[in-house]
Amino acid sequence: MKKATWQRVAAALLMAVMLLGVAGCSKGEDGDIIQFTMFGAMPQPEINDDNEIMNLIAEKVGVKVKETWLTGQTAAEAIGTIIAGGDYPDFIDGGEAMMALYDEGVLVPWDDYLEKYPNLKELFTDQEWDALRQDDGKIYWANQFQNNYGENRATTHNDEAFWIQVRVLEWAGYPEINTLDEYYDVLTRYAEANPTMADGTKVIPYTMLCDDWRYFCIENAPQFLDGYPNDGSVIVDKENLKIVDYNTTPTAKRYFTKLNEEYKKGTIDIEFATQTYDEYIAKLSTGAVLGMCDQWWDFYGTVNDTFKQQGLDLLGCNYVPLGLTIDEGMDNRWHTYGDTLNVSCGIAVTTSCKDPDAAFKFMNDILDQEIHDLRFWGIKDVDYLVDEDGMFYKTPEMRMQWADKSYQASHRCLYAYMPQWRGTSRDGKNAMMPEEQTSEFFSDLAEPLRKCFEAYGANNYPDMIGSVVEENAPWFPMYSYSNAMTTATPGGVAWTKMGEVKHEWLPRIVMADDFEAAWEQYMAAYNAVNPQDFLSEMQEELNRRAS
Amino acid sequence: MKAKRISWKEIKRQKFLMICTACFVVYGIIFYYLPLAGWIMAFQNYKPKDGFLGSEFVGLEKFKFLFSDATFLQVIRNTLAMGILNLVATFVMAIVFAILLNEVRLVVGKKLVQTISYLPHFLSWIIVTGILHDALSSTGVVNELLTNWGILDGPVNFFANKSYFWPIVAFANVWKETGWNAIVYLAAITSIDPGLYEAVTIDGGGRWAKIRHITLPSIKPTIMILLIMNIGNVLNAGFEVQYLLGNGLVKSVSDTIDIYTLTWGISQNDYSLGTAAGIFKSVVAIVLIFAANKFAKRNGEQGMF
Repeated sequence: MKKATWQRVAAALLMAVMLLGVAGCSKGEDGDIIQFTMFGAMPQPEINDDNEIMNLIAEKVGVKVKETWLTGQTAAEAIGTIIAGGDYPDFIDGGEAMMALYDEGVLVPWDDYLEKYPNLKELFTDQEWDALRQDDGKIYWANQFQNNYGENRATTHNDEAFWIQVRVLEWAGYPEINTLDEYYDVLTRYAEANPTMADGTKVIPYTMLCDDWRYFCIENAPQFLDGYPNDGSVIVDKENLKIVDYNTTPTAKRYFTKLNEEYKKGTIDIEFATQTYDEYIAKLSTGAVLGMCDQWWDFYGTVNDTFKQQGLDLLGCNYVPLGLTIDEGMDNRWHTYGDTLNVSCGIAVTTSCKDPDAAFKFMNDILDQEIHDLRFWGIKDVDYLVDEDGMFYKTPEMRMQWADKSYQASHRCLYAYMPQWRGTSRDGKNAMMPEEQTSEFFSDLAEPLRKCFEAYGANNYPDMIGSVVEENAPWFPMYSYSNAMTTATPGGVAWTKMGEVKHEWLPRIVMADDFEAAWEQYMAAYNAVNPQDFLSEMQEELNRRAS
Repeated sequence: MKAKRISWKEIKRQKFLMICTACFVVYGIIFYYLPLAGWIMAFQNYKPKDGFLGSEFVGLEKFKFLFSDATFLQVIRNTLAMGILNLVATFVMAIVFAILLNEVRLVVGKKLVQTISYLPHFLSWIIVTGILHDALSSTGVVNELLTNWGILDGPVNFFANKSYFWPIVAFANVWKETGWNAIVYLAAITSIDPGLYEAVTIDGGGRWAKIRHITLPSIKPTIMILLIMNIGNVLNAGFEVQYLLGNGLVKSVSDTIDIYTLTWGISQNDYSLGTAAGIFKSVVAIVLIFAANKFAKRNGEQGMF
């Protein structure tokens, strides 16, 4: 008897599951709204299936996109697994593994749709679109970032820097900090004077991330310290149009010697080499880390939102960028002015998409100003207000709510890896993104941060870092070529192996007891993988781009 | 002993059993042998776009690359080292644990310990490695205890030191699997004739003598069979543990053949090289099983086949 009941329950459960499965496949109540899927090979917060703005956008443009993101794997593994399985989402951004998707022939060319959809066409100039063409002459993806509509409104330093908490600067009386020596000196002195946070957490003067591809946080500082812009994988000597390897420059050696000294002194977090990205972000979010070298986009989202929610911003935990160079009195080029087109990856439509036309139409429609505002500003009168001059603004409560994780999941729908604009809105007044709205930017600044900007006479983050203002060179950025290299060429093999060597050795030389000996060993290992193969392929590409 | 010839009559008589067996043979062919056709990838420059038929045939090229790659030789070493370490540690611990547990007189305590000890088996590695990562972090419980007891001056980053990696993996395996593995031995021990123990008591032997002369020899066949089966698994030293606990610093000791296969096969899109590495692993496993079986038979034990 007992058993029979149990079996009946099991059968009922099974039926329920099957029915749910069937329901999941049908369009159900959504009626004529098309459901697309998207995979992004980068970790991002996932939003709820009944997200309010997502549904609102779906009502207006007739399409809803279910986004899934990278978890626990590397981008290459995730994309490799998708290719091996042969089951593609409708939209895909393969990140560093984008080229593998192209080689597989599963991406739909944009060319036929560009004329049809003006908002897409408008994203780039003809020259920029040409830069996105693959070797078969067609366009398969468009990069989503660092693209300005109208006037550039950048208030953030959306680039790499040595960051420092404003409380450290305030404590030290807002000193000029231009070199590594001065930077670590102030961090050490502050940590000695204030060894713990209010809740007893030990202060970590400096940490760096070495996790997977994010090891750029330790790896590429030498190019900036020498005063060069972010070409990412190499330095370009402008005068001779020569590729220079920043891994082996005297500056690189001085930088790592400094890190080694600081590590021995205990300034650097002992876990730096083994922490994962999640652990790193969690650590920064406690406010205990005084400084690190990183890209703004790599940490600001979660970290700044948490600071706001926890009130740590009022204690001066926010980070400001410093334009350090290896010696005093050099120009720095940490900040990239103007647009940067990273041609190596972007959003693409796959051949698995049953209705590619609708997919391109969707990308076009969400660039309409109304939808763009919905994505980045939110719902009018709920997430922002409009004054009599037509300027958008938020109340402090709205800002607090916008930074809340659960509100973001249930309400906010950025479609963060779909085409988007920075710069000035089509109304000619507002900014495309709230954080670039000057009034918003200032109202959102916590008091310590505002005081810091004032002390340094800066209006925004780029002023703070004080990079040289200049046009980007025609070949910039070179990383868009190295990112797309595959192991099919000797240069690509060398590039992969150089990465492996550096992944192992950079943390190790920082932690070495005998730095000189470790550096020698590192150089031997580095030269053994033929970096010359890589550099000469980069030189060829430089020649091509410069001509 | 001469093998008995199987006659048609015999087969007819066991018709039902034959049909039952046939089902499993078919199942085995479909799910274990047909996929082996994919091994052809190892001899091609396989691209999924071109398929099996369209891909270029390169012979033993991939194997040549494999064995001239210093990293591959390194991952073989790591796999073997961790495999053997894990095998010895978990194997010995399971037997010791089973015997100790068997000596416990209090039934309630025995059951309780047994249940608690095999529960970790059901945790997935992602959880176990998460716990380990937390426990061994610079602010974790291990560092805290060692510092408070004065054994260490300050926190040690366990995952940054190459020489700690293999022991950490072995420890994780022991912690997770000891209780589970001990179940088989406990079962074997219960089937020992109590009369034998009584005989030892009459002869004046104590507990130690019982363990040495009765328990251990009685479970020796079980030990042998499990040993042979586990030896075939030596190269399955693991994927998740090393993948989840490893980092750039200890990569040279943490990467196993499986991780190598993943890196090249999936991340670098060289399915052929990945398959070649996989074939190598299978061949070594088969050789190991045969060797272990032969060894067991030579020592007068019953082999697996």
